[in-house]
Amino acid sequence: MKKEDTVKLISAEGFEFVVDKNAAMVSQTIRNMLTSPGGFAETEHREVTFPEISTTILEKICQYFYWSLQYASGKETEFHIEPELTLELMMAANYLHT
Amino acid sequence: MGGACSRKRDQQTNEENAHGGVSRRYSKSGSSKWLGTSFSRASVDKKEGNVICPSLMELCIYKISEEIHEYGTFSMIPRDISQQIFNELVYSQRLNEACLEAFQDCALQDINLGEYPGVDDAWMDVICSQGSSLLSVDLSGSDVTDSGLFHISDCKNVEALNFNFCDQISDVGLGRISGLSNLTTLSLKRNNSITAKGMSVLSGLVNLLKLDLERCPGVHGGLVHLRGLKKLEALNVNCCNCITDADMKPLSELTNLKELQISCSKVTDHGVTFLKGLHKLALLNMERCPITAACLGSLSDIAALLYLDVSKSNLTDDGCDKFSKLKSLKVLNLGFNEISDAVLAHLKGLIHLESLNLDSCKIGDEGLLHLAGLDHLKCLELSDTEVGNNGLRHLSGLVNLESLNLSFTIITDGGLRNLSKLSSLRSLNLDVRQITDAGLAALTSLTGLTHLDLFCAKITDTGTNYLRNFKNLRSLEICGGGLTDAGVKNIKNLRSLMLLNLSQNNHLTDKSLELISELTQLVSLNVSSSRVTSAGLQHLTKLKNLKSLSLESTKVTANDIKRLHESHLPDLVTFRPE
Repeated sequence: MKKEDTVKLISAEGFEFVVDKNAAMVSQTIRNMLTSPGGFAETEHREVTFPEISTTILEKICQYFYWSLQYASGKETEFHIEPELTLELMMAANYLHT
Repeated sequence: MGGACSRKRDQQTNEENAHGGVSRRYSKSGSSKWLGTSFSRASVDKKEGNVICPSLMELCIYKISEEIHEYGTFSMIPRDISQQIFNELVYSQRLNEACLEAFQDCALQDINLGEYPGVDDAWMDVICSQGSSLLSVDLSGSDVTDSGLFHISDCKNVEALNFNFCDQISDVGLGRISGLSNLTTLSLKRNNSITAKGMSVLSGLVNLLKLDLERCPGVHGGLVHLRGLKKLEALNVNCCNCITDADMKPLSELTNLKELQISCSKVTDHGVTFLKGLHKLALLNMERCPITAACLGSLSDIAALLYLDVSKSNLTDDGCDKFSKLKSLKVLNLGFNEISDAVLAHLKGLIHLESLNLDSCKIGDEGLLHLAGLDHLKCLELSDTEVGNNGLRHLSGLVNLESLNLSFTIITDGGLRNLSKLSSLRSLNLDVRQITDAGLAALTSLTGLTHLDLFCAKITDTGTNYLRNFKNLRSLEICGGGLTDAGVKNIKNLRSLMLLNLSQNNHLTDKSLELISELTQLVSLNVSSSRVTSAGLQHLTKLKNLKSLSLESTKVTANDIKRLHESHLPDLVTFRPE
């Protein structure tokens, strides 16, 4: 995978997730950050920090990105959500427009 | 045999659908709203043709909804999110009194519990705790009583309240809404307890735009309290038999009124005189009122009037010349009045007319001549009139006609060629005994038809050959007794069909069911009074969209259908025999 095809998502604790740009753009919020012309610094550095999203939640979100791409291509599996994460995950999903 | 039994539809007063936009979903007993929820969400999405990936937000909301008992409170999460959880719980019918507690003080904006099972006063604490955030509440069909409304006054900003079919709310409960001056919509359909006295609180609701008191038998004398509601745009007192001329008087000051529905009241021509100055009035429903054509004089200055229903009233030819003044009319319902061809001459100049209902009027061929120039007409209802073939000639140029009802007229096959150029026709009712296969042959150019009713026409297998031209048909009824399995072979290629009624064709066998099984879009199927047997039911297992199935007076037993329902067709809502 070429470096320009990936983005780095950084959690509140500073943990870095390097994910496929296409996957990350499942989130409308990230898509806007990465594609708005000349706007965000994120566009240039391909790096987004989420000071409000914990590592556990951000990991789950990255899993969802890939799951969603699979789903759209016809592989309709179930996406498992741990009950104890649901509320926090939902707040993050709301913020990320995902 | 067959065909001996015929029927006529849509005769009942259709109070709730006065202009098509009014929802029929409110009714405590007859509701099917909650029957539909046996659909799984996935199957609904698939019907739309493409795979829609659920968002993470949706997945989380479904998850919470499934495990709702695990959550103590949602008051710490943003209200737009708790609102979505609430809506999902209502949709999936998982909401109950216990889990409602989690929504205490959530600042929800909309509590839409219309027809939701089990709602009563015990729910009201949490509902009212939303306080000034609450904008709309629908408790239609609930068991909420006056005491449940005690704290509704805390919800200062509420804009819409729907308490339809809440028969335990009386004047006392109504008193609790007196300070809610932000209300724009208030609906109290079918309430037996509300009286003129209780309606005095309405005078304070100065922002009210829409008031619905349909089927409230005690409201006579109460409309005086509306006098100051200058913003009021819509008032529905349909089927309030207590409403009289005196009740119309206070309405004369409501100059912003755009819609007024007073069907089945005691209002006479005198009462209508009070409406003279309502220059914005666009819709007036006076179905079944004891009015005559003399009332038209009071309406002739209302240039905004687009929709007028005077069906089933006391109209005669006398005074009908005043119709010519109502130049803006788009929809006119004159059905079931003792009026003749002479009246139609006065409609000649109503060039904006799009819909005209003359059901069961004493009109014939001569009268239709006057309609020939009304080229905006989209919908023409001539059922149960004396219209015959000569009359159809006058309709041959109405190329914008989309719906034409000729049931129970005296037309024959020979007249139908006059319809062959009406290429906009979507719905055609030829429920006429004299119509045969030959008539159908003249209509093959009407390829846009989506609804064709040949209920008691004498259609045989030969006639079904012409049906092949109607590829867009969504509903078809042929119940004249002349079809055999061979005819059904021609019907099986009409793949858009959603409703098929072939009852009373007593030669149809299980073979027909096999042919019909290819019509996978079918939602409703009727093959009653035929030779089908329980052995034929196996073919119907492919009809996964079927919601209604009638096989009355056949060898199929109630148990057979029940088994089919349980094993293969879970979405069936009604079936006969049962």
